[in-house]
Amino acid sequence: MFRTVLKQSAIIAKQQQKSLLFKTATTGINTGALRFYSAASTLSKDDITKRVIDVVKSFDKATAAKENITAQTTFHKDLGLDSLDTVELLVAVEEEFDIEIPDKVADELKSVGETINYISSNPEAN
Amino acid sequence: MSTIAALTKPQILNLYRQYIRTAKDFTSYNFREYFLRKARRDFRLYKDQIKTEEDALAKFNMIREELAILKRQSIISEMYTFDKLVVEPIKTPK
Repeated sequence: MFRTVLKQSAIIAKQQQKSLLFKTATTGINTGALRFYSAASTLSKDDITKRVIDVVKSFDKATAAKENITAQTTFHKDLGLDSLDTVELLVAVEEEFDIEIPDKVADELKSVGETINYISSNPEAN
Repeated sequence: MSTIAALTKPQILNLYRQYIRTAKDFTSYNFREYFLRKARRDFRLYKDQIKTEEDALAKFNMIREELAILKRQSIISEMYTFDKLVVEPIKTPK
């Protein structure tokens, strides 16, 4: 009797494993909207600029020069953000455009304009 | 940051970035906002507090362990649904 119970639980475990595999396989394909990479990015530069500036404006630590944020605005000098704040702001930008900025790139981004340029060069941004 | 020599600045910033990203994964408003506050507070606090290299490394490893816990818990939190609180803004689709 003991053996049959063991066998049954083994079978169940196997089935669960299978269904798990199946699930991960399907979700692997269907993450987010499907867009072909051959299609040009639908974002225009003006659009990106406006959205980045909106994110910067809604970032509550950016105190100085809040009224006139342009592509030339730098995070440290003009907005008075330290390195930790800059990281936080960039995470907010990532969230807005549904991307993940790699660490090496993010450490180099120092102004609004550079951020806009990076996003327009990233085909995954939307 | 000059007190921390063994750890490089990008390393710490990367840890901070990961911490914030993970905190934002929480579906529950209370947890999410708490860990964001905690990240901001802790990193600033340690920046002023830390004087020696050993201290810095110890804190760095402590936060790394915290981050691991946070990652596991955020995944668990994604398995459950939470009702929106009244203080939460409702996101309109773009």
